[in-house]
Amino acid sequence: MDISGADIIRAAALLGAGLSMGFGAIGPGVGEGIAAAKACEAIGRNPREAGMLTRTMLVGQAVSESTGIYSLVVALLLIFVV
Amino acid sequence: MEGIGKVSQWVIHLGGMQFKVNSTTLLMSWLIIGLILIFIVLATRRRKMVPGPWQNISELLVSWIKDLCVDALGEHWGRRYYPLICALFIFLLFCNWIGIIPFMDEPTKDLNTTLGLGIMGFFIAHGTAIKVKGLKNYITEYFKPIFFMMPLNLVGELAKVISISFRLFGNIMGGSIIIIVVSYLAYGLILPPFLYAFFGLFVGTIQAFVFTILTLVYISVQIR
Repeated sequence: MDISGADIIRAAALLGAGLSMGFGAIGPGVGEGIAAAKACEAIGRNPREAGMLTRTMLVGQAVSESTGIYSLVVALLLIFVV
Repeated sequence: MEGIGKVSQWVIHLGGMQFKVNSTTLLMSWLIIGLILIFIVLATRRRKMVPGPWQNISELLVSWIKDLCVDALGEHWGRRYYPLICALFIFLLFCNWIGIIPFMDEPTKDLNTTLGLGIMGFFIAHGTAIKVKGLKNYITEYFKPIFFMMPLNLVGELAKVISISFRLFGNIMGGSIIIIVVSYLAYGLILPPFLYAFFGLFVGTIQAFVFTILTLVYISVQIR
C-alpha cells in the first residue's frame, strides 16, 4: 500500500483539526469558569439580584465562547473542505 | 453520519451564468416567516384590555425588548429601532427552535443566513452613525488617535461582522453535528431528545439573545 501526497495532506488536515479543537477549547473553558465563579460570588453577596446576574453571566459566557467556536469552524473546514 | 457537511442546492442556469441556491435554507426561512405571521395574527386577532395567552406572550416579549432598546439607545432612537431589534430576535428564536422538530433544519445552520443578518446590522449601525454625527465627523472618527490607526479601525469594524455571524453559525452547526454523532453512537431514543432540548432550546435562545444584544450594542456604540 502506497502513501501518496493526497493521503499525507488528508492526515495533516485531520491532525490539525484535532489540535485546533483541543487547544482552542482551553481558553473558553477557563474564561467561562472564571465568569461563573465571579457570578457565584456576586449572588452570594446579593441574592436578590440573582436573575439579572445569571442573565448577564450567560451573555458574557456566550460572547467569550466565540474563540472556541472559531476553532470549531476551523476544525470543520479542515475536516470537510481540505 | 453521512448527513454531516452536505448541502442540498438548486442550480439555476441563467444566461451562461450559474447560480446556486441553498434549497433547505430558503424553504425553512419561508416556513419560519409563515409561522411568525401565524403567531402575530393569533396575538393581535382579538385584542382586549385583559389579554388572552397569545397576546400576553407577545406583549411581554415586545415590552421587554423595548425596555432593552430604550436603555441602550436613549428615548428617541430606542423607540425608533425597537421594531427592528424585536423582529430580529423573534426571527432568530424561531430559526433556532425549529431544529427540535424532526426533519426540520435550522436556517441559521447555513453561514449565508447569519452573514446576511450580520451585514444588515453593520449597514444599519453605520447608516445611523452617519445620520447622527454627519459624514465629516463619522470619517474623522476613523483617524481618531493618530492618522495611521485608520486601517486598524477599519479592520476592527469589519471583524465585528465576521465575529457576530460566525458565533451564531458555529454554535448551531456544532450543536447539530454533536447530535448527529451521538445519535450514531447511541442508536437510541434516550439521549438525543435531551441533546435536542439543550442545543435547540437553551443554546438557541441564548445565541439568539446574544446576536440581538450585540447588534443593539454596535448601533449604540456608533450613536454615542
